Amino acid sequence: MKRFLGHPITGHVCRLLLGGAFVYANATKLVRADEVARLIYGYRILHPDLVNLASIAFPWVELIPGALLVIGILPRSAATLLGGLLGVFIGAAALVMMRHIDIECGCFLPLVGDRVDWIMIVRNAILILLALQVMVWPTSFLARRRL
Amino acid sequence: MAKSASNKRGPLHPLVDTGQDTVAGVLIGSLAILIASAAVGLIVNHFSPRRVPLFPRVREQEQVALPLPPGVSSASLGQARAALGSRSAVFLDARGAAEYAHGHIPGALNLPPKEFDARFPELADKIEQAESIVVYCQSIECGDAVDLADRLRELIPRPISVFDEGWQAWQAAHYPSTEGARP
Repeated sequence: MKRFLGHPITGHVCRLLLGGAFVYANATKLVRADEVARLIYGYRILHPDLVNLASIAFPWVELIPGALLVIGILPRSAATLLGGLLGVFIGAAALVMMRHIDIECGCFLPLVGDRVDWIMIVRNAILILLALQVMVWPTSFLARRRL
Repeated sequence: MAKSASNKRGPLHPLVDTGQDTVAGVLIGSLAILIASAAVGLIVNHFSPRRVPLFPRVREQEQVALPLPPGVSSASLGQARAALGSRSAVFLDARGAAEYAHGHIPGALNLPPKEFDARFPELADKIEQAESIVVYCQSIECGDAVDLADRLRELIPRPISVFDEGWQAWQAAHYPSTEGARP
């Protein structure tokens, strides 16, 4: 099992899946900070004064580490950051579900009907596992050899 | 994090492995990426035609006015109620047909943004005759009203406002409503 998890091909697949998911999810959000603000506001977690700031920064804070992972630059740092964000998203989803608020998660704009539910939590947990693989056995196309 | 095998296996590209073999280095790298990414977001937003103010305006009754596309204004519950009373505005309901039929503001036309191209031509005359347009959807976090306002502002030279709090607040205030597929 350890041999499989530590294999370079596994590493490349995990890195590209994780990075690609974040690049894909955020490419459409970059120019729609107004829509992102509504989605963040819907979670009713951040103070309203911080919603706009979050809507401006969040898409880039997800997209740039995702792109770094795809390219293979600072893979451990990028995976750590994305893993931490995914943990925050799971906590936010759990809070929303505990408060019985039914909202779109806004994970993958412009897909609709993507609600905050158990599927979102499981999907984020799987992405955290990918991040852990990258953190422990990082790979990069830019490296002459495995890290 | 254990020291990686990189040093045993020969040189790597400095972009790839700088600071990546210690826990502190990885965390500092994460923080640097976080700060740099947020800075990029702030810079891009500053020069964007759809620039969002860093801090939202606070409207009457502490209701936060979330960002809207350029040229589109925000209507409070009271302003929407007054617009209905004055009959000067046309109301557009951006929700789906089923939600619309379940209950809507009297006289509101149903125009979900996803069906805009198919349904706009039949409604265009009524919309163009109005002095102003008020668009709404379910509640403040729903983006359909904003999407619809965004499409309309390019086609109709009328004041357009988004009734942010939407049907949920209208219903909670027990303002006039009607049911069915017709306005």
